[in-house]
Amino acid sequence: MSLEAAGFWGLALVLLASSLAVVLSKNLFHSVLYLAVALVATAGVFLLLQAEFLAAVQVLLYAGGVVTIVVFAIVVTERLVGERLAQTNRGVFTGGLVSLVVLVILVLSLWRADLPRTAPPPPADLTQAIGRDLLTRFVLPFELLAVLFLAGLLGALFFARKEE
Amino acid sequence: MNAGTLALAALGLPFCSFVLLAVALPLRRAGRAAGALSIAAIGGSLLASLVLWRTLPGESVELTWTWLPAEGGPMATVGILVDHLTASMLVLVALVSFLVQLYSLGYLEHETPPALGRYYAYHSLFAFSMLGLVLASNFLQMFIFWELVGLCSYLLIGFWYTKPEAARAAVKAFWVTKAGDLGFIIGIVLLWGQAGTFQFSRLFQMAGDRTLPTAGLALIMFLIYLGAVGKSAQFPLHVWLPDAMEGPTPVSALIHAATMVAAGVYLVSRVYPLFLLTPDVLALIGWVGAFTALLAATLGLVQADIKRVLAYSTVSQLGFMMAALGAGASDAGFFHLLTHGLFKALLFLGAGAVIHAVGTNDIWQMGRLARAMPQTMIVFLVGTLALAGIWPFAGFFSKDAVLAGVWEGGLAIPFLMLALSVFLTAFYMFRVVFVVFFGPRHAEGHAHDAPPVMAAPLWILAVLTVGWGIGLATRGGGEKAHGPEWVPWLATALAVAGIGFAWLTYQKRVVTPETLARAFAPVYTAAVGKFWLDDLYGGLYRSTLLGFSRLVGWVDRYLVDGLVNLASAWTLRWGDGLRRIQTGRAQDYLYGIAFGLLLVIVWGYWR
Amino acid sequence: MGLQPYLILAACLFTIGLFGVLTRRNAIGILLGIELMLNAVNVNLVAFARFTGETAGLIFTLFTISITVAEVALGLAIVILIFRVRRTVEADQLHLLKG
Repeated sequence: MSLEAAGFWGLALVLLASSLAVVLSKNLFHSVLYLAVALVATAGVFLLLQAEFLAAVQVLLYAGGVVTIVVFAIVVTERLVGERLAQTNRGVFTGGLVSLVVLVILVLSLWRADLPRTAPPPPADLTQAIGRDLLTRFVLPFELLAVLFLAGLLGALFFARKEE
Repeated sequence: MNAGTLALAALGLPFCSFVLLAVALPLRRAGRAAGALSIAAIGGSLLASLVLWRTLPGESVELTWTWLPAEGGPMATVGILVDHLTASMLVLVALVSFLVQLYSLGYLEHETPPALGRYYAYHSLFAFSMLGLVLASNFLQMFIFWELVGLCSYLLIGFWYTKPEAARAAVKAFWVTKAGDLGFIIGIVLLWGQAGTFQFSRLFQMAGDRTLPTAGLALIMFLIYLGAVGKSAQFPLHVWLPDAMEGPTPVSALIHAATMVAAGVYLVSRVYPLFLLTPDVLALIGWVGAFTALLAATLGLVQADIKRVLAYSTVSQLGFMMAALGAGASDAGFFHLLTHGLFKALLFLGAGAVIHAVGTNDIWQMGRLARAMPQTMIVFLVGTLALAGIWPFAGFFSKDAVLAGVWEGGLAIPFLMLALSVFLTAFYMFRVVFVVFFGPRHAEGHAHDAPPVMAAPLWILAVLTVGWGIGLATRGGGEKAHGPEWVPWLATALAVAGIGFAWLTYQKRVVTPETLARAFAPVYTAAVGKFWLDDLYGGLYRSTLLGFSRLVGWVDRYLVDGLVNLASAWTLRWGDGLRRIQTGRAQDYLYGIAFGLLLVIVWGYWR
Repeated sequence: MGLQPYLILAACLFTIGLFGVLTRRNAIGILLGIELMLNAVNVNLVAFARFTGETAGLIFTLFTISITVAEVALGLAIVILIFRVRRTVEADQLHLLKG
């Protein structure tokens, strides 16, 4: 077993376990912590796939940003309601069945698909390539993204305004 | 001025008058001023027609303008065609229109000014339409004017539209004539399909050099004849004309005696070269004409309404004209049209003077009017003698020509019918004369002769009737009638017999009308019931059209509406059921998304 | 290591996220499930980018991450707003659209 395979299986185990914990934990706060674990593990997967830059982005933005915001939201909500937020699941059986069927079909189709077995050699400087492409090929989506963020910012301001 | 300009002037003057009266509201509201304008216009027309008639060159004059352009020459043209037929008809129409409009000033003096203005607007429109019909140079144009005069007839019958009978009679006249016009327009279109032209002159040319395709021509000419059947009140479409008497009497004189109803006869005369190609249709025209003459004469015997007697007499005389045309004597038929136009207008206007004086249409409520209204009596008698066909009145010569023509044409049985009609005509007309002018007095009030504005047209017509007859008599008279020698004698004998019989029955009371009714019980009953034709049409209408309407109504109410109601009920039920799957919970919708995802994958997988 | 294990891992991750979204009662819990699903998508994109040598996948991932962050921020703002009005974040009780 190569180092890559060992890393993959280890990360996969951590990823799946923490993901299941996210959706099953009774404590919302724990769920968020498990999500942070899952996101960091995903960053590990990115590292295995030679995407160091993305792994860094994943850890910084996702694990840092998202988790912080969610924790903040939970705290605010609990302060508002004045009690701990418990969370339970509903319709576990049907939800599980549907999810399982989706999984089976996805895996079945992946199993039969003809997929590449070996990866090409990685480019010399992937981060540089990303930067160049971002400002040449994908400059229009990039700018649109800025507009989207602006809209989001305005929306957030609207929500956050004081009630008159 | 040349012939074309004169004809256009005759046509244009009444049109200008109509437009003025239609557009200028104050003018129309003014009543008598509107009448003066209309009379002036038709007077100008009359003058133009007279000059045209006197100065007409030997050959026909035709003016043509392109109307519907098409590849390879215009598809339709408008224009005027003036020949001797047209010119004499023009004079008749303009003359009677002029006199009737003049007469109406007196007859309708009690109408409100706006109503009078409306009346004269209609009259101007009628004069324009009728002159246009006469001058039309092609079938299409003729049909347009044909419908226009039908419209005017409708408007003028329904002039007193607040009277239910008048409104009903107007609608009846419109629909019954439309039944014939349907055939007319189909015939025109079929003829166009065969010959490729509407124009009379080209059609005659084709008929002359035998290039007109004769296949199906009989059907076409029959359909065109149907138009004449409706307009000229031939059996079995004659039922509208007696009812049309609900209109004002001058209208009856102009439209329903002298001019418009003669349009059918004029149509057949106009396109006579085409009818000559289809002898079967001509024979049919002759038979139907003779039968109509006899039928209407018997109907005229039992009417108590003076105008209805005259109406049936008009139907009968139109039958004479048609019979002559059918027998091949088109000159005789047209000649009778002209003389009949004069003396029938005279009779109607005379009857109008009587009605105006006594205020009723019922002859049994009149009587001894000879003393009160001597002038009216004289002119009415002139008209009656002319209608009965007594020498030397104009009617004698034309009726004689018709009878001779029918005999020469070889239609023996129609000839007998017409001969019998001659006798009956004299009988029923003198029945009216004796009862109204010499019978026992019933009328209340003071009847007196008509005012000058009404009397003048009467005298003019009377003088023309007599003068024309005398003119014909002094010029030999027999130039039109080239039948056997005995025909005039027979006709005169029959007429005199009819007069004598009427004298015996209604004046001397040697034979009472009741005895006669008993003697001819079946005919009497049938005539009183108008041969049950109206009932037959009514029954047909009720059984077919109303039955069909009920069926359609049932289908609509139960089948169509049922389907619609069923659809809406199902929509409601299904909507109510499907509503429940909208739970409002986001996660339930997610199940739907997951299910859709599954479907997409499976579809992609198994494709 | 071929592409297949990565994709299957992503499929599992996606399914777990779906399960969370379908079953969680709390609106914040549902958002966490959505995060997992998006994360699975990112894994897919990066794996394909690696095995085809095309940088577009990486850039899409970059976009996804940025948008997701914005989405989470706004989503949570909405949740808090709902909480202020309705005093609950139970998804079951938010059914104004019930037919």
